[in-house]
Amino acid sequence: MKKLVFLFLIVLMVIPAGISLAQDKTEVRVWIAFSDYRLDWTKERAAEFNELYPDYEVIIEGFESYNIAFTETALAAEQGNPPAVTHFFEAATQEALDAVGPNGEPLFKSVAEAIGDRTEINGVPVVLDDVVSAAADYYTANGEFYSMPWNTSSTIMFSNMNILEAAGVEAIPETWGELEAACEKIMALEDGPDNCMTWPNHSWWLEQTLAQQGADLSNNGNGREGRSTEVFMNSPEAIAYAQWWKDMNDKGYYIYTGVVRDWGGTQNAFESQQVAFLQFSSSDATLIPANVQDVFPAVVSRMPYNEAAGYHGNIIGGATLWLNNGLNEETETGALMFLNWFSNPKNAAEWHQLTGYIPITNTAYNNLVEAGWFEEVPGAAVANMQLDLIPTTGALIGNFVAIRDTFTDAMEEILINGMDVEAALNEANEKANELLEEYNLLYAPE
Amino acid sequence: MTFYSNMLPVFIVTVVAGALYIASIFQRFKRPVIYGVGIGAVAGLVGPMIFMAPLDSCTFETGREPIDYWFGIVLFVLGAALLLGAARWVARFWLSGRAIASLVEDQTTMGVYKASPLIPVLLLLPTIIILTFFLYYPLIDTFRLSTLLVKLGAPRTVFRCVTNFTDFFEPGGFDYTALALVLGLVIAFLAYQPLKEAGGSELRAVFIYVSAIVIAFMLLNRIIEPDYREVLFNTFFIASAIVILGLIFGLAIAYLAYQPVRGAFIYRTLLIWPYAISPAIAGIIFFVMFDPVSGVINHIIELLGGEGLDWIRDPWMARAAIIITSVWKTLGYNILFYIAGLQTVPGDLLEAAEIDGANAWQRFRNIIVPALSPITFFLIVTNLTYAFFNIFGTIDFLTKGGPAGATSVSIYEIVELGIRHKDLGRAAAQSIVLFLMVIGVTVFQFRTSGRRVTYGA
Repeated sequence: MKKLVFLFLIVLMVIPAGISLAQDKTEVRVWIAFSDYRLDWTKERAAEFNELYPDYEVIIEGFESYNIAFTETALAAEQGNPPAVTHFFEAATQEALDAVGPNGEPLFKSVAEAIGDRTEINGVPVVLDDVVSAAADYYTANGEFYSMPWNTSSTIMFSNMNILEAAGVEAIPETWGELEAACEKIMALEDGPDNCMTWPNHSWWLEQTLAQQGADLSNNGNGREGRSTEVFMNSPEAIAYAQWWKDMNDKGYYIYTGVVRDWGGTQNAFESQQVAFLQFSSSDATLIPANVQDVFPAVVSRMPYNEAAGYHGNIIGGATLWLNNGLNEETETGALMFLNWFSNPKNAAEWHQLTGYIPITNTAYNNLVEAGWFEEVPGAAVANMQLDLIPTTGALIGNFVAIRDTFTDAMEEILINGMDVEAALNEANEKANELLEEYNLLYAPE
Repeated sequence: MTFYSNMLPVFIVTVVAGALYIASIFQRFKRPVIYGVGIGAVAGLVGPMIFMAPLDSCTFETGREPIDYWFGIVLFVLGAALLLGAARWVARFWLSGRAIASLVEDQTTMGVYKASPLIPVLLLLPTIIILTFFLYYPLIDTFRLSTLLVKLGAPRTVFRCVTNFTDFFEPGGFDYTALALVLGLVIAFLAYQPLKEAGGSELRAVFIYVSAIVIAFMLLNRIIEPDYREVLFNTFFIASAIVILGLIFGLAIAYLAYQPVRGAFIYRTLLIWPYAISPAIAGIIFFVMFDPVSGVINHIIELLGGEGLDWIRDPWMARAAIIITSVWKTLGYNILFYIAGLQTVPGDLLEAAEIDGANAWQRFRNIIVPALSPITFFLIVTNLTYAFFNIFGTIDFLTKGGPAGATSVSIYEIVELGIRHKDLGRAAAQSIVLFLMVIGVTVFQFRTSGRRVTYGA
């Protein structure tokens, strides 16, 4: 018995020694705002990286949303223990740029600046210069490429080809007018669906349609030439879009699922053949056609645009990996190694094939073309192609998460309570500008 | 604390009122009135500073909105009232010459530590430390945050005085209906006690309470900002529906499950099951079922030949969906407690009633329901807590507060503002309002149904 106790004590003493041995590795904590199979994939990659570069220990932690990952980062920084990398979404880019830590220094550091003119870091080739231009342009602010793009998507449309064929719709609609005409035919079907199309009530659609119509969402060139100080949520282009949306809803062509930012409900509506068209994120460009392949052929195409305004390009959505400021040199090196390795051609291609997010580097894209992937899965190429048509960048606006919500709220007032489009958008615009003014009071340099 | 000249008249009012008030108490106890005047005047002078000192009297600053000024007056008077209330309490105890123990008005004897008075303090210390860090400090910080424009990660904050609170109000201007409503409210409250003492029936008291609530509601309707009004309405409507329906169904099912039938044990276990599911999971399950486009409930209705309903697309149906989900979710908990409660209903009473010829409904109404009153009272409080706070997960996964804000209750608004929009100031102000509302409802509860609870047979 005594021996056992002795042994136990020895084990107790050895464990901390083992832990301290493990600590000789440089820890690189990476906070990811996913909690599903995408987090699992990231963890697998981290394990692979740790095996390849045994001096570093990348530790992945999942969070349920971008906002929570960001809040936790800010709090951790306040306690002096921030992670090395935080995953944050495109709409909050301005907020990430403006965020400061407890010492008043910026919370994040430009990845391009941290890499400098290195082409490889400890044997890991730098891929930042290879990032596709749509993503690189979006995340470049004040002439500086700030964060490492990762999951990047655009809006696309899925069509149920069985229904289109039955209704005699020959070509997949590319404009609002063509879509309306197709819906007229589909609604005339005797055993057709109750409604023709759906998409989530998400402000991303407003931002996409403004880009398509060539209108800015905020002043100073969408906040690209200087800080946004005014939002144009009631611009003629915004009104045109909301009005068209309302008309489609009133005719019964569009069906609203009743919940804001409803990805699940709209996807279910399409997959259960309750609608013929679904506008969605390209993040599921491979997943949705695969889900329904035994029931009906689903074809991916570009997001329809307003033919009256011409076509001026679409924007990206998604998120990037931000490098925290004030890391020690070893941790920063490890973080940069991981960021570049994580989006190397092989990983970037695999990530695209798994999810439908665009291949984030040109090399990854070319390799996929050569391997014949896009012939095998034609829908997978749509988002890349759409983003390459006409390069545009989305708006950089402070307090954008709250400002976006004013649009979705207005859209609900229009669709559910039948509020007048112009009145609803004027009200939303007023609230949005108040929110922006408050933001700039707190963040803009004095 | 800054002093502005427009504060002088209000100070005069509180000082004079305080002096008169405390003096009247001294007079009743036939003590020198001058002391009462002195104490009351000091309380009337210092009391307002409870709120004005932390705010640095900002509501009296020139350039503030009129609504801020009036809100400041209310806070000012409230501070004076709080201190005067305390002064009155101390004065009455002091003047009547009673022991402190007699102030704690109840018959139960308190335990006494014989060893040292330090021991109880030491034993309480761990709890007090935890409460201080995790409850009292955040509570006080909430008050501080509620006066600021503040965002997590922002380089600075901006002092907003009471704007975060006055944003809740949007007076429709003075009109006589409002005045009539206020008078009605005052009369209803004043009439309640005399009527009850004069032997007025219980029903009349209930009628007066209900009309007072209705009048208060209509009055609030006039002065509260429309968006926030909807939040308040949703909060109270959804919470009351959950509590009332949840208790009725809980008791009914518990009563059935309590009957001696074969396999009762299995039924009871299965009935309690939903309680083990988290509010968020309940939200997801019902989201899939209620989905108006591809949900299973509409599919079944259509299979049966009916027309699919506009679940979660229609504001009232969305509220119904939230209520149904939450009632289902809390049902297991209510059943559990009611089954336990039913086991304590004295069998001899039921037997005696049966011999006297009481039918099943009369036995249920006159014996079982009163015998369960402590359980019901407990369940009302816990269900209300659920409906006010824990409902967040269900709403977030089922309706996201929509459509068009129809299911946005107070706690959902607070989390949306504080976490999604990172607007800590407004979220703090709303949580203070929710805090006061919950305290109000609980006090109301204890004063009304709490009295009717019987713990003995």
